[in-house]
Amino acid sequence: MLDWLQFILAPQVINGLSIGVAVVLMALGLTIIFGLLDVINMAHGEFYALGAYLGYALIASGVSFWFALVFVPLLMVPIGYATERLLIRRVFHSKERHILTLLLTFGLAILLEDGLKLAFGANPLKPEQPISGASEIIGLYFPNYRLFLMAVGVLIIVAVWLTVYRTSLGAMVRAAAFDRHMAASLGVRVSHVYAGTFAFGVALAGISGVLLAPIYSVFPTMGKDFVLIAFSVVIIGGMGSIKGAVLAGLILTQIQAVSSLYISPVWTDPLLFGIMVLVLMVRPQGLFGRLGHG
Amino acid sequence: MAEHLLALRAAVMRRERVSHSTLHFFAYAFIALCLVFAAIAMATGDVFFFRLATEALIFGGLALAVDILLGYTGLLSLGQALFFGYGAYVSGLVLKEIEPSFWTAMGIVLVTATAFGAIAGIIAIRARGVYFALITFGLAQVVSKIVFNTRELGASDGIIGIPVIKTDFLLFQVDTGHAPSFFLLVLSIIVGLYFLVAYVMGTPFGRTLVAIRANESRVPFLGFHPWRYKLAAFILAANVAALSGALYPMLRGFVSPELMFFQVSGNAVIMVIIGGVGTLIGPLYGAAILTGLKSVIGTFTEHHLIVIGMLFVLSVIFFPKGLVGHARPRIERILAARGRES
Repeated sequence: MLDWLQFILAPQVINGLSIGVAVVLMALGLTIIFGLLDVINMAHGEFYALGAYLGYALIASGVSFWFALVFVPLLMVPIGYATERLLIRRVFHSKERHILTLLLTFGLAILLEDGLKLAFGANPLKPEQPISGASEIIGLYFPNYRLFLMAVGVLIIVAVWLTVYRTSLGAMVRAAAFDRHMAASLGVRVSHVYAGTFAFGVALAGISGVLLAPIYSVFPTMGKDFVLIAFSVVIIGGMGSIKGAVLAGLILTQIQAVSSLYISPVWTDPLLFGIMVLVLMVRPQGLFGRLGHG
Repeated sequence: MAEHLLALRAAVMRRERVSHSTLHFFAYAFIALCLVFAAIAMATGDVFFFRLATEALIFGGLALAVDILLGYTGLLSLGQALFFGYGAYVSGLVLKEIEPSFWTAMGIVLVTATAFGAIAGIIAIRARGVYFALITFGLAQVVSKIVFNTRELGASDGIIGIPVIKTDFLLFQVDTGHAPSFFLLVLSIIVGLYFLVAYVMGTPFGRTLVAIRANESRVPFLGFHPWRYKLAAFILAANVAALSGALYPMLRGFVSPELMFFQVSGNAVIMVIIGGVGTLIGPLYGAAILTGLKSVIGTFTEHHLIVIGMLFVLSVIFFPKGLVGHARPRIERILAARGRES
């Protein structure tokens, strides 16, 4: 029994955690964008891929991984800001904005994916692991990079939480999400908050791309599968809820990791989806409420 | 007061008749264009473009299904290819394993797609708005993954070697291997589906769907149960998609899990938006435009998706009503002017 816990369950749980942290990063971007702008960003997976490619290109041009890790999200911010200002803003006041913004970001996803293919080719590229070696924990060896990934991921998640709930910037975002007209009349420049929040969410996707590139390698469609899990996480956690995204992200990836001990990995996706459907049937609003609402 | 209401009703009905006949005008124009194309292609003895045009029509049927949900019920389906692929697989299996008969294949697809659509619908209809889009997206993604990994269904290869079939109609016979006659058969089926759906949308059932699209929470106060109507629309759309999909293996001789992938669903949505959402005939135009564009751009570069994506983004921003939606008021004015003259 103890052996089973140590050698079978524990590695799954810890590997699941490292994937979970990455999924949470993706889901955070999605859920913040949805919570404030009411926009389903179908291009989120492609922004993640873009981040991974930008990181790859930077490293290939000679800079270190650490520089890329900091610089890529900074590069993603103006890209996200411009996307919101030039594209999403144009259909934002339409009556059918849910559907139009979804379609718009879907078109952007097609553009980005093929653009990446054009720029970098369709074959997977594998960046080098910036941290080599492995460490011993409870008698097992784990790759150092995965442990690093978890630590950085947790740091970012905490930083996001602090920014949204403990800074005046975050208060502006929450105020705009709660009642944008009231926020505007109190002097919040709502349109800049919107664009800035979109850019922030996109930067989160970009940094997940850089972080995960050494584990999963980089290819144009890398965002597709990943974003489906992120969507399920956002739906289960509650669209726009940060707490929900973190909890649901960790729970879902644990279910995925542990269940793959018993069922073929082919069936873990249907399992996750089944959970999502069940949550939608019992609690359509997800586990927790929206951004700015309690 | 009553007189006033009657006059109003008459005016609305007159307006709708014009609007209807405008859409049918687009439908007749579409048929005429297809026949002109067929005549030219037949005269030049072409096969490639015949096959391509047949494929465009088949995917047009899928786009028609998306428009039933998006244009009339206000539900954006991002996974309609699920039913398209389902129809293709069932039809392929029936033709290969059971009986190489057109009618058996279409019949079995119709019956089982109704059941499949009902099950998927009960799951998906629970969700509203963007949740519906995501749940249909997820459903299609998951089922396509299962099919992709099921060896009994040919896994990633799909089903190959589906025989060419001969179909007996009362007066004549159609050979799916003969490009021109199969094109005409597909044209009549897809256009037939269009007229059927257009008729259904004109009945009280269709009007209730439009009411749901306009304001779902008010519909129960009028004594209607939105859930039932949405489910019925979902099943109708599933059937239209599955029947179109059933034609695919007859054209290409194989089916593959790619038919259920998001790309196919996404393309159908693009066709609907480019052609004109809520017009039913628009999606068929959209299918012809998209397929034509892909084939033309494809001769220059393999990166045709950049162009398609750009076109799509621009049309969502600047032409959200699509081709038919934008041309409609003009044709309507012409038809109305002619109506006044006669």
